Amino acid sequence: MKTTKTISVNKSTFAFLGLILSILFFSNSFQAQEMEVKGVVKGKSESITEILSGATVYLKGTNDATSTNRKGEFTFPKKLKKGDVLVFSYLGYKRKQVKITEKTSFLSVVLLEDDNEMLGALNSNKRFKSKRLKQ
Amino acid sequence: MKKIIFFLFVFFISNCFSQQSDFAHIDFTAADKRAKSYKSRNLLKLNQFTYKLTKGFKTDIEKFRVIYLWITSNVSNDYRLYALNKRKRDRFEKDSIKLLEWNSKFKKKLFKKLLRKKRTVCTGYAYLLKEMCSVVGIDAKIVNGFGRANGMEIDDLEYPNHSWNIVKLNNKWYLCDPTWASGTSYPEEGKFIFDYNNGFFLTEPNLFIFNHYPLYHEYSLLKSVPSIKEFAEKPLLYGNAFNLISEHISPAKMHHVIQKDSTFTFQYKLKEKIDLNKVKLIFVNAANENNIKPKVIIHNNILTVNHTFKKRGYYDVHLYFDKDIIATYVFKIIK
Repeated sequence: MKTTKTISVNKSTFAFLGLILSILFFSNSFQAQEMEVKGVVKGKSESITEILSGATVYLKGTNDATSTNRKGEFTFPKKLKKGDVLVFSYLGYKRKQVKITEKTSFLSVVLLEDDNEMLGALNSNKRFKSKRLKQ
Repeated sequence: MKKIIFFLFVFFISNCFSQQSDFAHIDFTAADKRAKSYKSRNLLKLNQFTYKLTKGFKTDIEKFRVIYLWITSNVSNDYRLYALNKRKRDRFEKDSIKLLEWNSKFKKKLFKKLLRKKRTVCTGYAYLLKEMCSVVGIDAKIVNGFGRANGMEIDDLEYPNHSWNIVKLNNKWYLCDPTWASGTSYPEEGKFIFDYNNGFFLTEPNLFIFNHYPLYHEYSLLKSVPSIKEFAEKPLLYGNAFNLISEHISPAKMHHVIQKDSTFTFQYKLKEKIDLNKVKLIFVNAANENNIKPKVIIHNNILTVNHTFKKRGYYDVHLYFDKDIIATYVFKIIK
């Protein structure tokens, strides 16, 4: 009598656990759905918006990365999931972070130009000569 | 109480006299070898390249050293870009909108050249260093300001002309100038020659201020920052100086008026021992040029050079260690 009882409890527990597990499994696979992310990167300055080739795209916190091609396009080499953050950067522009959602498949990213001025002073080892002596 | 004061004192001292010497115990041989052996035709895959370049190095200082040395031995100074930018900036000096437009246009040109051909001007070096550092998680900033090279007068210091970097290592900021470390430009011949100068790597703030005056004073990393006028009046130091001395003690100014037969003292703290016989002063006046062996004393790494001026007149006085020009001063000797 006792034995049967135990078995029946075990059976229902097993079924219940199975149900939970399958729910977990399905919802998990739904949440962890991995997707390929493609996109294009552009740069915007005061006067013009143009494609950026050679812009860096990387997954935050990892060294998974790629660069945009001559048309400014990229396909991220690793499948991404919801919540991942892609970082976009290019010399002279402010970097931008984009959070991946379920719906992300194509990203159009516009980086804003930073306002640093371009300067250059030459290094010289030429010996100084007073103006007075140059005459 | 005495103990506390002692500790404060030690703390203060260790904070003052420590830049390159903070890392004196670190052997950069492996980092330098890596930097020298890695080649890349272009920098279009900057992220991957930087990872590969620094792979295996554990500390930030070593990673930074590899990146810094790689940039300074592979990116050349583009004189044509420099000249073009200078011409346009001079032309649009009074027209801020046009200057802004030019800056934006030039920036694109500059970064294309940098990524494809590895050629640039100062700000390009500074950007690249910052960017590569950020790939490996090192905090670096671009600093804009006044770079003082030969022939620059105070009138030239109206607009900033140079960019360099500060970098945070072990929670402390340090100075460096990848542009001037990379080599020397010969504008007349339109060429650039790689000639790495380690003197601009984590330079002492007290010495760096001789030819780098930042727009924002805190980037000088000094507690007390000279005025721009004081900066322009400092003695002129050459690249070699940064390699050979760690402190320029005196004189504080470049131009001097002194009396005949008085003795003048120059004083420097040396990074390493030098051959005292090779210290010389070269006097140049309108008529001729004279080599002079001055009286030289060295004590506790402090080099003291004394000279008594015997003749009246105007002189440019250059300090040399062997063939390397270190500094220039200008004297008017009166009766």
